[in-house]
Amino acid sequence: MSFTPLDLPQGIIQLITDELPSPADFILHQKLISHVKESKEGKRIILSVSEGWAKWQAIASKHNVNLAQEENSGSLTFVDISSFEPEESGLRQIFNVVVEALKECTPDSLVILDDVSTLEWIGVSTLDILRFCRALRAQCIKHQATLLIRHHLVVYGMPDQLFRDLMQLATYHVDVRPLASGRSGAVSGEVALHLGPNALPPASVKPIPRSRAVQYRLTDSGSIFFERGNSHGVL
Amino acid sequence: MSSFKKKVSSEQIALTGTRSSPGSTSTIITSTGIPSLDDLLGGGLPLSCSLLVQTSDPHSSYGELVHKYFIAQGLVTRQNVCVISENPLNLVKGCMWLPNSGNIQYNSPQPVSTMNINDDEETGQSSNEKIKIAWRYEQMKQFQTTVPSSALSGTEESCSTFDLTCRIPDSIINSALQSGQLSLFDVGIIGMDDVSAPCSALVLRQIEKVIKAGSPSTPLRICIPALGSPEWGDVNSKDILRFLHRFRTLLKQHAHTCASISLPCHVSRPFWDGPGWSQKLGWCVDGSITLSAFSANPALTALSPSHHGLVEIRSLPAPHTLLSPSDKFSTLRGLSSSATSSGGGGENNLAFKCTRKRLVFETLHLDVEGGVGERRTTPSTGTVMQGVTNDNTLDQSLLPRTAVAAVEVLLEEDLKVSVASSITSTVQMEGSVAAMVPNSSMIDTLGSVGGEVCSKGKKPKKRVAFQSDRPDLYDF
Repeated sequence: MSFTPLDLPQGIIQLITDELPSPADFILHQKLISHVKESKEGKRIILSVSEGWAKWQAIASKHNVNLAQEENSGSLTFVDISSFEPEESGLRQIFNVVVEALKECTPDSLVILDDVSTLEWIGVSTLDILRFCRALRAQCIKHQATLLIRHHLVVYGMPDQLFRDLMQLATYHVDVRPLASGRSGAVSGEVALHLGPNALPPASVKPIPRSRAVQYRLTDSGSIFFERGNSHGVL
Repeated sequence: MSSFKKKVSSEQIALTGTRSSPGSTSTIITSTGIPSLDDLLGGGLPLSCSLLVQTSDPHSSYGELVHKYFIAQGLVTRQNVCVISENPLNLVKGCMWLPNSGNIQYNSPQPVSTMNINDDEETGQSSNEKIKIAWRYEQMKQFQTTVPSSALSGTEESCSTFDLTCRIPDSIINSALQSGQLSLFDVGIIGMDDVSAPCSALVLRQIEKVIKAGSPSTPLRICIPALGSPEWGDVNSKDILRFLHRFRTLLKQHAHTCASISLPCHVSRPFWDGPGWSQKLGWCVDGSITLSAFSANPALTALSPSHHGLVEIRSLPAPHTLLSPSDKFSTLRGLSSSATSSGGGGENNLAFKCTRKRLVFETLHLDVEGGVGERRTTPSTGTVMQGVTNDNTLDQSLLPRTAVAAVEVLLEEDLKVSVASSITSTVQMEGSVAAMVPNSSMIDTLGSVGGEVCSKGKKPKKRVAFQSDRPDLYDF
């Protein structure tokens, strides 16, 4: 297929939601890897709440990308948000790190915030998170950088307040969901793409509704997209 | 030295009781003590990962049993074990141990063989082997619902075979305590150190100390069997999630540690903190499974008498890959075979049972009536036949059933008697309405015909529910 939910233009704000049986890590990892490969000059910032540096490195190394080298050269900044104890000291310090890192960047930079839900669950107030995301968005727009924000949806069909607020900031909403019929070896889940309030003109990116969501299968280090009904098991 | 040899560092090989994951050489896994749980996790629990076992049933303690296996396995393989609980010594004393007095085997350098499982199922299988099996079925693989203990370990046994009827000897606990292999912390006592700080923060500090005190070349198992119990003070959902999150971060920083955690039954309930509580817990740990015991619901016990509860997998550890190793290597989940075959089927339903000697996780199938296991050959029509043969004991309440049964018997015997055929047609035309209305003449006729049939052949014909090979059934 020609278009996948990962082929989105640069310089956008992308909200990625997932559920426990279908984590959206693969989108973040693939975005980072393709960004490292395509944009040598660009700056990359990973703001990680739950996932350790080791996993980012391990998956990138399978694509022949050495993240440690990137970090040493200064083109990649990995921020472990947990080490700042955001539930006590707030998110201001983390924002300062991002501002510092984006200071001398080229237009096609990438900022990944993984994830905002855990921040909320461990005690950071929703208002603080929203303000942080809004400030990040402003910085990214200023530097024409791409911002990916990951959010976990815990109750199907009941979007929480944080999600509603974040949705207002987003250009696109990538909706990663498990199959309604349960886990399968041939299909890991499906991805829909919705337009946000700030979406670019419809001609540039065509949304993918849930009824025609693109299915994917995870491999050790990547994912394979296919249309519904074209899985390995069916064909 | 070539670059190929550099990949496998000697430090990783030296860790006792561990092996590299079949999926990725960078992932080091260790056994949970239960071979079938290891299979669900894709070979074992990866180091630097945490496993949460949720059991919401207040009347059973299967979660605690999983922890006991986890501790016992750590002690057998000479790994460091840290238990944080209320009265942790009692928990360790209640651990199972190796059969045949583990003292000698414990001291021996070789891991214990798993060949001497003397369980009731094993003996049942050996007696079955004497049965002569038809040639076309003889070659077929025996039906299995779980994995053997040595399925994943290859040449070297990674998981010891524990026996629930054996208790851990006191001498082993004492020597482990003295050598520092086993460290026990009472949550209540830790909480008294500093009353102003929350208990969870003090526990984390204590864990950090234990990790730093131990050698990185010896894996450390941390076991928290009741996170959030009353001894932890007034904890709310935020405290628990914050603790799990920080604990996970701590484990990630120390690659020689792994943890097994449970919550008290009331906290384990899926909606303890509103909808989505289980999902939130699942996101804050690496692996999360739920054991729903049937003891909470007698109807489920009746439905599946051979199991003690259902297993639900919420998340699985994948420390270095996007896809969990379990998806590729777990025999019980069955996803790997479906990915390669043309079926593309879903995940197996899973259940657990606790026999006299071990806890087993296995696939859940329909009971005997679904076609699995032994074949039921007892004639189910026996009671009905009695009702037909004995005219005097014919009860009015049995009438509809009797009438239908008589018709079926007539068809099976293929009688050419005209009387019988007329009755058959009557019943067929009037259907159940006719059968429901008591008619004394009809009862008499039916009774006499039924008696005639049964006097001809005393032995009632065995019937099965599936009658597709009898097209003459519809030929009248």
